[in-house]
Amino acid sequence: MGMEQVWLLPAIPAVLFALMGLFNRLVPRRGDFIVILGMAAVVVLSFLVLLDFQGSFKDGHFAPGDSNFYSFSWVEIDTGVVDDLLLIEFSTFVDGITVLMLAVVSIVTLMVMVYSVGYMHGEVRYGWYFAVLSGFGAAMLMLVVSGNLLLLYLSWEAVGLASYLLIGFYWERQTAAEAAKKAFITTRIGDVGLLIGIILLWRGAGSFDIQEIIHFAEGGGYGETYLTVAMLMLFAGAAGKSAQFPFHVWLPDAMEGPTPVSALIHAATMVVAGVYLVARMMPVFDVALVARDVVLYIGLTTAALGATLGLVTSDIKRVLAYSTVSQLGFMFVALGVGSVTAAMFHLFTHAFFKSLLFLGSGSVIHATEEQVVETLGGLRRKMPATTTLFVIGSLALAGIVPLAGFWSKDEILLVLQDGAGFGPFVILAATAALTAIYTTRLVLLTFFGEPKDQAAYDHAHESPAVMILPMALLALLAVIAGFVALDPVGKALGFTGGIGEVVFTQGHEGHAFKLDPTIAIGATLSALAGIVIGFIYWSGAAERAVRARQWSPEFHDLLVNRYYIDHLYQFVIDKVVLGLATVVAYFDRWVVNETGVDGSAQGISFAGYRLKFFQTGRIPNYALAMAIGVVVLALVAIGRT
Amino acid sequence: MAGDIPMENFLVLSAILFGIGFYGVLARRSAILILVSVELMLAAVTINMVAFAAYLDPERFTGLIFAIFVITVAAAEVGRALGIVLRLFRDRQTAMVDEASDLKW
Amino acid sequence: MIERLPLPAPLAALLRRAFFPEGSFRLPLPAQLDRVIIYGGLVAGAVVTPILLVLIVLLVLNVLTAPELVFWLASAVIIGGALGSVLLKNIVHAALSLVMTLLGVAAIFLLLGSEFLALVQVLVYGGGVTVLLLFGLMLTNATDDPIVSDGAQKPFAFLVGIALAGILSVALVDQIWGAPTASTVAFRELGARLYRDFGLPFEIASLVLVIALIGAIAIARRDRPEDTEDTAMGDGA
Repeated sequence: MGMEQVWLLPAIPAVLFALMGLFNRLVPRRGDFIVILGMAAVVVLSFLVLLDFQGSFKDGHFAPGDSNFYSFSWVEIDTGVVDDLLLIEFSTFVDGITVLMLAVVSIVTLMVMVYSVGYMHGEVRYGWYFAVLSGFGAAMLMLVVSGNLLLLYLSWEAVGLASYLLIGFYWERQTAAEAAKKAFITTRIGDVGLLIGIILLWRGAGSFDIQEIIHFAEGGGYGETYLTVAMLMLFAGAAGKSAQFPFHVWLPDAMEGPTPVSALIHAATMVVAGVYLVARMMPVFDVALVARDVVLYIGLTTAALGATLGLVTSDIKRVLAYSTVSQLGFMFVALGVGSVTAAMFHLFTHAFFKSLLFLGSGSVIHATEEQVVETLGGLRRKMPATTTLFVIGSLALAGIVPLAGFWSKDEILLVLQDGAGFGPFVILAATAALTAIYTTRLVLLTFFGEPKDQAAYDHAHESPAVMILPMALLALLAVIAGFVALDPVGKALGFTGGIGEVVFTQGHEGHAFKLDPTIAIGATLSALAGIVIGFIYWSGAAERAVRARQWSPEFHDLLVNRYYIDHLYQFVIDKVVLGLATVVAYFDRWVVNETGVDGSAQGISFAGYRLKFFQTGRIPNYALAMAIGVVVLALVAIGRT
Repeated sequence: MAGDIPMENFLVLSAILFGIGFYGVLARRSAILILVSVELMLAAVTINMVAFAAYLDPERFTGLIFAIFVITVAAAEVGRALGIVLRLFRDRQTAMVDEASDLKW
Repeated sequence: MIERLPLPAPLAALLRRAFFPEGSFRLPLPAQLDRVIIYGGLVAGAVVTPILLVLIVLLVLNVLTAPELVFWLASAVIIGGALGSVLLKNIVHAALSLVMTLLGVAAIFLLLGSEFLALVQVLVYGGGVTVLLLFGLMLTNATDDPIVSDGAQKPFAFLVGIALAGILSVALVDQIWGAPTASTVAFRELGARLYRDFGLPFEIASLVLVIALIGAIAIARRDRPEDTEDTAMGDGA
C-alpha cells in the first residue's frame, strides 16, 4: 500500500455507501458499525499513504509530479479543439497537501461517525444517515486525491450532494428543507463559476491535468487577463463551497442538519474544499496576482464579517458557523498572500478544534434539546466533561498558547504582515481578538452563570461515553496538532522538519516554521484581552452586554440582521429573479407549451382525424396506390437511364 | 427451335400479359378472380425468365431453374390463399375483397 | 341439354352428334358444364380458327417460319385467354379462360426449348391449380348468383395496367440485348443443375409447399363444432 493505491481510500467508503444505502435494513444496527469499520480502515490506509510519502520525501527524490498516478484513461474524445485529442484520465495525485487533507478528512470523519452512534441513537433513517456519511467521506477523499480538475469537479459536486442530503436530513421540517435548498443553490452559483474556470483553463492548456495546467501557466501560456478571469471563476467556486463573502449566507442556515454533520461537513471538511482548491492551484494564482489579491481581500472581509456576526447570534450552532466562516476567511487571507503552508496549517488545526466545538455543542443540544444560548447557562455543573472539552476547543479557537489555534493563527498573521503590509494585518489581528470575545461569550452564556431555563437545565445530563470519547480524542488533537509546526516535532515524526517543510506549494521551497516573538506575544495578549472583554460583558447576568447593545442600537440592528445581506438577496430574488421567471413562465406556458407542445400534438391529432378517411380498409385501393407508385418509380427509373 | 424469333417478342408478350394480370388484380372484386389474375402475372414473369435463360444464359439457365421455383411457390400460394378465402367466406358469407374492409380506423 | 341451348335446331343436332354420340360413354359431369364446354369450344374455335388460317396462309406464302407461326398462335391464345379471365363476367368462365392462357404459356415454353417446364406447366397449372381454383369457386359461391361485377376503381386499374405494360415493353425493347439466339436445354442438364447446384433451395421449396398446405388447412378448418354452430347462428341473424 503506497501512494499508487491511494484510490482505495475513496473506493472503500463509496462501496459502503452504495451497499448500506440500499441494504442497511438487512444488517444488525442498520450497519453503523460496518460504515465505521470502513472509515477506520481508511484512517489506517491514509497513514500508510503518509508513511510512503514520508519515505519518498526523506529519500529526497520527491518532487511534485512524481506522485501523479494515472489509474486508467477515463474519456478519450477527438475534439479538434486543442491537440485534437481530449484525454481525461482518472488520475490521482499525492503531495504534502493531499496527505494532510487525507489525515484530516479520515480522522474527523471517523470521530464524527463514532459520535453519531450516540447522538443519532433512535433517530429516523439511522442507517441512511450513516450511508450518506460514508458517501460524503468517499466524495471528499476523492476530491483531495484527484489529479485532474474534471475528477475534482465531479467529487466537488458529490460532496455538495452529500451536504444537501445531510442538511435536509430532517426534511419533515420546513426549515431544514429550505436550508438544504439554500445551501445547494448558493454553492451551485459558485460551482458554475468553477466549471467555467476549469473549462477556461482546459481551453488554454489542452488538458485537465492539474500538473500540466500549472506547468502551462508557469510557462506563461495563458494571457494575463484570460488567466485572471479563469482564476476568479475558479475562486467563485471555492468561495461558494467555503462560504466566503458574498456566498457565506448558506452556512449558518446549514446548521439545520444534525450537529455531527455540521461538525464534519460544515466545519472540518467540505467547507475547506475551497481552501484546498485554491491551495492546489496556488502556482497558477501566483501567476495571476490580481486574482490572488481578490482572494486576500475576500478572505479579509469574510473573516471580519463572520467574527462580528458571531458576537450577536444567539443560536449556539450559528455562532460556531459564523466562527467557521471567519476562520475560513483567515485561511483565504493566508492563500491571498501566497502562503499555502499557513493556510493548510490553519485548516489542519481548525478542523480539529472546530469539529470538537461542534460536537460539544451537539452534546449540549442532545442533553437539553435547546440551542439558544440565552436560555442555557450553568451547564458546567451538569456536564463537566463536555464543559472541559468545549473550553479546550474554545481556547484553541481563541489562539491561546500552546493550543493548536495559536500556532496556525500566528503563522497567518506573520505571512500577512510580510506579504500584504500593515492595513490588512491590523484588521486580521482585530478579528483575531474578536474571535476570542465571541468565543468567551459563547462559553460563558452556555456553561457558566445561572440557568435561565429551568426546564432545559433539569433535562440536562452528561452525554454517553460514545460521544465523549471522540470529543476527547479531538481535544487531544486540538491541543497537540499545533506542535507539528515545530522542527523537532516534525523530525521526531520522521519528516525533514516541521509542517512548513512538508506542506508547501510546488515550485516554492519548504521553509522552517518561525515564531516572530512580537507577533506571538501581541496575538496572545490580544486574545487574552478578548477573553477579558468577554468576561466583562457576559459574565453573570450580562448587564453590560445589554447596555452595550443600547449604546448603538443601529449597529446592533445591522449585526442582528446580518448586514442585511440575506435581505438583499431575498429582494433580488423576489424582484429580479421572480420577475424574469414570470416572463419565462409566460413564455413557457403559452409559447412552448400551448403552441409548441400541445399545438403540434393537436395539429397532428387533427390531421390524423382528417387523413384517416383515406384509409378505406379495402385492399384493392391499397393495391392500386401501390401500383401507381410502381408505375411512377418505373417512369423515374427509365427517365434516369 | 425458336432461333429465328427475336427475344424482344417474348419480352413484350410477357409485358402485355403482366399488364393484363395487373389490371385484373386491381379491377376484380372476387378473391378467386384476383388469384386468377395473380397467376397471369406469375405466368408473365415465368415467360420472361425462361426467355432470358434461353437466349442470354444457355450454359447455366438459372432463369429456368427459377421458373421451376416460381411455379412451385405459386402452387403453394394458391393453396394457402384459397384457405384464406374459404375462411373469409365462412366468417362473412362473402368472397369479395372490398367487403372485407376492417383494415381501417 | 343441347336442345335447351339457344341455337338453331340443325346446329344443335349437329353438335349433339359431335359431342355426345348416341350410346357413347357419358362423363359423370354436371349438366351445366355442357353449356360451358360447348360455348368454350365454340369461342375457342371462333377465335383460334381465323388466326390459325391467317397464319397458315402466311406460312405457306413463306412470310413466316414455323416457329414464328407457333409463337404468334400461342401469343394470340395467351392474350385472348388472359383478357377473357380478367374481363368475363362469369366466374367459372373466367377461371376456365385461365386454362387457355396457361396452355399457351406451355407452348411458349416448348418454343423456348424447355420441354420440362412445359410439362410442369401443364400438369401443375393446367391441372392442379385450375382445379383448386374451381373448387374455391364452388365452395365460396354457394348461391347460383354469379356476382362478378368489377370494383369501382376499374378505370384506374385499366390505366395502370396499360401504363405498366407500355412501360415494361418500352424498357425491355429499349435495352440492347445484342440479338442473341435461343438454345435448347436438355432434360439431363436441367436435372443435374437443379439437384446439384440448387439442391438446398429445392428442399426448401418442398418444405414451403408442405408448410403452405398445412397452413391452408389450419386456416380453413372449422375451429370446433360447437363454435361453428354458434357462429353460424350468429352470422345468420
